[in-house]
Amino acid sequence: MDASLNCRHRYDRRLLVFSLTAGMVFVALFLRLADLQWRKHEQMHLQAEQNRISIVPTLPVRGEVLDRYGRGLAVNHVSYRVQIIPDRVQDMELTMLLLAYLLDWDEKHQQQVEARLAESRSDRPVLIADQLQWAAVAPLAARLHRFPGVDVLAGTHRHYPYGELGAHLIGYLAMANSEDVADGFLPMEKVGRSGAESAFENLLHGRLGYQQEEVDALGHRVGIYKHTPPEMGASIRLSIDIDLQQAAAEALGDRSGAAVVLDVNSGEVLALLSKPGFDTNQFITGLEVEQWQSWLGDPRHPLIDRSFQAAYPPASTFKLLTMLAGLDSSLPLMDESVYCSGQLELADRNLRCWKEEGHGYVNLRQAIAQSCDVYFYQLGDKLGIDRLQATAKKWGFGEAAGFILAGEKKGVVPGPKWKRYQGLGHWTRGETMITAIGQGAMNATPLQIARFAAAIANGGKLLVPQLEVDNPPLIERELDVKPQHLERLRQAMRSVVSSPKGTAHYRLSGSPWKIAGKTGTAQVIAMAEDGDDEELLPDRHKDHAWFMGYAPFDNPRIAFAIFVEHGGHGSSAAAPVAGAIVKAMAAKEAES
Amino acid sequence: MSTIRRLDMPLLCCLLLLGALGMAVLYAAVHQGDAGLLQRQAMYWLLGIGVFLGLCYVPLRHVALVCWPLYIVALLALLLVPVLGEVQMGARRWLNLGLFNMQPSEVMKWALILLLAFIFATREPSRGRTLMLALLASLLPAGLIVVQPDLGTALVLLTAALVLIAVAGLPWRWLLYSFIAVLVSLPLLWRSMYDYQKQRVLGFLDPQSDPLGAGYHVIQSTIAIGSGGIFGKGYLQGTQARLHFLPEQHTDFIFAVMAEEGGLLAAALLLALYGVMLARMLIIAARAHSRFGGLLTLGVCTMFMIYLGVNIGMVSGLLPVVGVPLPFVSYGGSALVTMMAAMGLVMRAAIESHGRIPWQRTANPLA
Repeated sequence: MDASLNCRHRYDRRLLVFSLTAGMVFVALFLRLADLQWRKHEQMHLQAEQNRISIVPTLPVRGEVLDRYGRGLAVNHVSYRVQIIPDRVQDMELTMLLLAYLLDWDEKHQQQVEARLAESRSDRPVLIADQLQWAAVAPLAARLHRFPGVDVLAGTHRHYPYGELGAHLIGYLAMANSEDVADGFLPMEKVGRSGAESAFENLLHGRLGYQQEEVDALGHRVGIYKHTPPEMGASIRLSIDIDLQQAAAEALGDRSGAAVVLDVNSGEVLALLSKPGFDTNQFITGLEVEQWQSWLGDPRHPLIDRSFQAAYPPASTFKLLTMLAGLDSSLPLMDESVYCSGQLELADRNLRCWKEEGHGYVNLRQAIAQSCDVYFYQLGDKLGIDRLQATAKKWGFGEAAGFILAGEKKGVVPGPKWKRYQGLGHWTRGETMITAIGQGAMNATPLQIARFAAAIANGGKLLVPQLEVDNPPLIERELDVKPQHLERLRQAMRSVVSSPKGTAHYRLSGSPWKIAGKTGTAQVIAMAEDGDDEELLPDRHKDHAWFMGYAPFDNPRIAFAIFVEHGGHGSSAAAPVAGAIVKAMAAKEAES
Repeated sequence: MSTIRRLDMPLLCCLLLLGALGMAVLYAAVHQGDAGLLQRQAMYWLLGIGVFLGLCYVPLRHVALVCWPLYIVALLALLLVPVLGEVQMGARRWLNLGLFNMQPSEVMKWALILLLAFIFATREPSRGRTLMLALLASLLPAGLIVVQPDLGTALVLLTAALVLIAVAGLPWRWLLYSFIAVLVSLPLLWRSMYDYQKQRVLGFLDPQSDPLGAGYHVIQSTIAIGSGGIFGKGYLQGTQARLHFLPEQHTDFIFAVMAEEGGLLAAALLLALYGVMLARMLIIAARAHSRFGGLLTLGVCTMFMIYLGVNIGMVSGLLPVVGVPLPFVSYGGSALVTMMAAMGLVMRAAIESHGRIPWQRTANPLA
């Protein structure tokens, strides 16, 4: 065979080999495509969807907190916020730099933002600036297309029109912390931190919406694929009458203290004031650490709600309980007079009445009206601590009032058992006697005292204080108390105001509604030695002042407890606050 | 018989169908962005068809005359690249010719095929001297392209040359030797590679290792293809393409757009079209009246085969990313026009063979 023909044969053979090889390449490509498009299709489809669909939660508008007449206590104002989804940002460093420039951030805010970004999930929106007015956010909004992953959203921010006035009661919001996130909140959300904002969180919060957004490879939102709109939180109407709260605050002035006003029939809380307050709006605009520290370190403890988160010696207001215990026990002393010389000598100590020169002969009613200590030392002594303790507990002391706001103190109703438990040794007779006038270890919250006053006024129903309006009254228990005993107690309370010698006569006898009540002056330190002038005592050693009671006397509507920390005498410091509240209440009544 | 009537109709039909399909896919890839792209591609098609028809009238023996000059010009251009070339994307590949930029390496691919066809047609194919000349003619430009650096193109060039050499007449044992040589040189090649080239190869071996870097392209294109399923997401409905998750979707990755929107059906249709076209070219190569025409057709066929295999292989994650277009579908003027020119030569070979016997022991290898 010649070379040329050999060449042709070889060429044909090689062409055949080439064809087969090419065919195999085609088969390989087809198999690969079939593998991807048929066998792995589901998985690839899912990945493509994950690529393009980004689920972004949309926050609901928080429900508003209103007072009983619909006035806003915690309301929403329109503002703008900036959020960022880190995964979609191309150049984080540059973006941060430009944002800081456009939004005019100082270094501190920039660091805060960076810290927040560092601790947040990178595929979820992170809030980096909040509550901006349009003018502040406009420079960024106009250039938004150059910031993939950054969004400017119109929204609302919380505003507390009454500021300090309702600080403790209404509470405030704070950015969700890691515990909240564990509870299912989003890191970008604000969560109620105290007061009604916290207690009614579930109602106010509303339901999150979800937006399935279609995004392109650069993270730009291309369209909205599916949107489940958020549901606005419910607004709640509190039982509070902010006018009443205002009247109490004005009457208290700059002094520390608390005022609680209850509706005697429904148990609704009409006013719940604690002073000093703090401006809760600062929590919303971004609380400075220094401000927070100064509140924490303030010796007047503005963050504590004195109306139910702190308990104080009830002082002479407790004499009403001693009286009730006495009436229950039908002691002869109840119908006898006692001679008050200004002090009562006991084996080991000398108990004094607040009135050094003594009250002379006083019966039960006069002893209440003039708040004679000696009478009640004797009555307490005859009753014994067990009966005092039982009566106090029966009327709701030493237990939580069941208030909806968090942090309620139970107070203490001391007794031998309690003292042993505390490791303080044996209970003494003297302790029984000072407990009978509300001094010593006994302490109670203003809310408990107001509840006690309400129970006296409504005929012995111990109510659960309610913060929401229009709820049916919640009766903790109907107290087993004889109507005639209650009547005697009321008459005695009335004479505190009506009797010319009554401790509150001078301050409250001119009130538009007839008030029945009881003053109290709780010693902060052991009673001043003779010659010490109380006026010269430093404020922190001054006595706590109390006034509790109800009005109108004939047809009780409201019960109240006023507490003035280091206020001095109950009659001079606390009673006028009650007077202001009743006056406001009566004025309102007259208008309508 | 007129030239027009001797045109190979199956090949022409395949070509036109591919062109139509290509334009439709290109529209899907660019319809959101630069609409001018589509017009320009249409212009290139017109130009390409002109060149194609023009070459149908040029006798192959005249073409044979330009093989060496074209090769030498291309080689000179390659030599000029390091001196005058413009840097684009980190590599010096382009020459500015005033009117347009050109990539000498692109020209060299076709020039080399022409030259090899010429060499093997005019010399005794199995002789050692012929082989040495062919190898030298292939390795010289390949080396120049590697240093640009453009490893992908160099590999495409070498593969095409080796296939041609093998089919044209390399004895089997030589083939075996060269296969061993390639295996031995692989580690050396690895060492001489630039980091980005190594990254690409590594990214190919394990795309997930660097999902936002080297592996990103391949991951996104495989997702696009796979998510298309059997029937596709519908024309213009591909989310991967529409939302720009697909890189280079109008050029090298255009196949993924088609596979996403048209599914396995469309992909198989495209493969079938290519298959028929290549099979037709092989038939032309087998029946060619001249050795030059046959080898030339085979060379062009080889080049398309490599383009197609490398492109679809890369887009579907079988091969590393090499900048190779999908013939007649990818956007790109110079590639299209050169490919149409190559098709013109193949068509001319078919025309010259029409009604004549295949080359046997006949004297003139060029006619």
